[in-house]
Amino acid sequence: MHELSIALEICRMVEQRLGPAQVHRVVAVGLEVGNDAGVEVESLRFCLEALLTSPPFHAAVPELARRPGDVLRLSYLTVDDGSPQDATAGAPGAAGAG
Amino acid sequence: MAIRTIDVRERVMAKNDELAAGVRRRLRAAGVTTFNLVSSPGSGKTTLLERTLAALGEELRIAVVTGDVQTHDDADRLERHTTRLVQAVETQGGCHLDARQIATALEAIDLDATRLLLIENVGNLVCPASWDLGEDAKIVVFAVTEGEDKPRKYPKMFRQARYAVLNKIDLLPYVPFDVDRALGYARDVNPDLTFFRTSALTGAGLDSWYAFLRGQGGRGPGV
Repeated sequence: MHELSIALEICRMVEQRLGPAQVHRVVAVGLEVGNDAGVEVESLRFCLEALLTSPPFHAAVPELARRPGDVLRLSYLTVDDGSPQDATAGAPGAAGAG
Repeated sequence: MAIRTIDVRERVMAKNDELAAGVRRRLRAAGVTTFNLVSSPGSGKTTLLERTLAALGEELRIAVVTGDVQTHDDADRLERHTTRLVQAVETQGGCHLDARQIATALEAIDLDATRLLLIENVGNLVCPASWDLGEDAKIVVFAVTEGEDKPRKYPKMFRQARYAVLNKIDLLPYVPFDVDRALGYARDVNPDLTFFRTSALTGAGLDSWYAFLRGQGGRGPGV
């Protein structure tokens, strides 16, 4: 139950972060989960996998990295813009390309 | 297809913490001291609150918000001991209260006529530790029937709390519970914990609890 509510909050954050941006689909959702965060990682992964099946996520993959301490942070999103151009250009805060 | 990575680095609890900060500002501006009572199910939180409301409800102008997964049973019990509003939050499966629920509950509470707000969280020693409700302090309640090892098993909750109530001490002759060991485990996790030993059923130890509340009620940020 706890992990489900956290997963729902993560989905809300992802949607808010994307805003009106023209994103074809979310490919991956990157998270940092502290060992003392009070979160069971596999349970959170299960909840995210279930929630990320619906639009606009289109089966995005949750990528969970363990960290020391109690950090619980949405660290990055990998998105597909649906166009062949290099979408990193002009995207504030963007880093890297595939 | 163009794949790109968006750097986010945002705390998952940021939205709840923002709401909690708003709740805290509102309560402190009104001079209301707020405690968030957390525990496992069956530790005696509701009985402790029944006794507290009966003894101090009018004197300290206590308002209560209760959280339960299902039913308003706790709120119904508490309403028998006070003429003031008891706000019930039914989480419908949620395993903790969050700041949004408290912000909503405050809409129905006359804060100008309140000195002390007691929040009875959902019975759960895990999840409520992670959710700031805008309280001045968390009070963890644990009972001698639960075993001494609760602070070791649920360290985050005991680390987050400022006060600990060891309840059901009337049952000590009947259960294998080592008080010194339990308090030692709790201090290992949080050396700054202040303890109360009570039986909400018989009233043992409640004088200290009441004195504590009398000393805190209405002080707001000074807690």
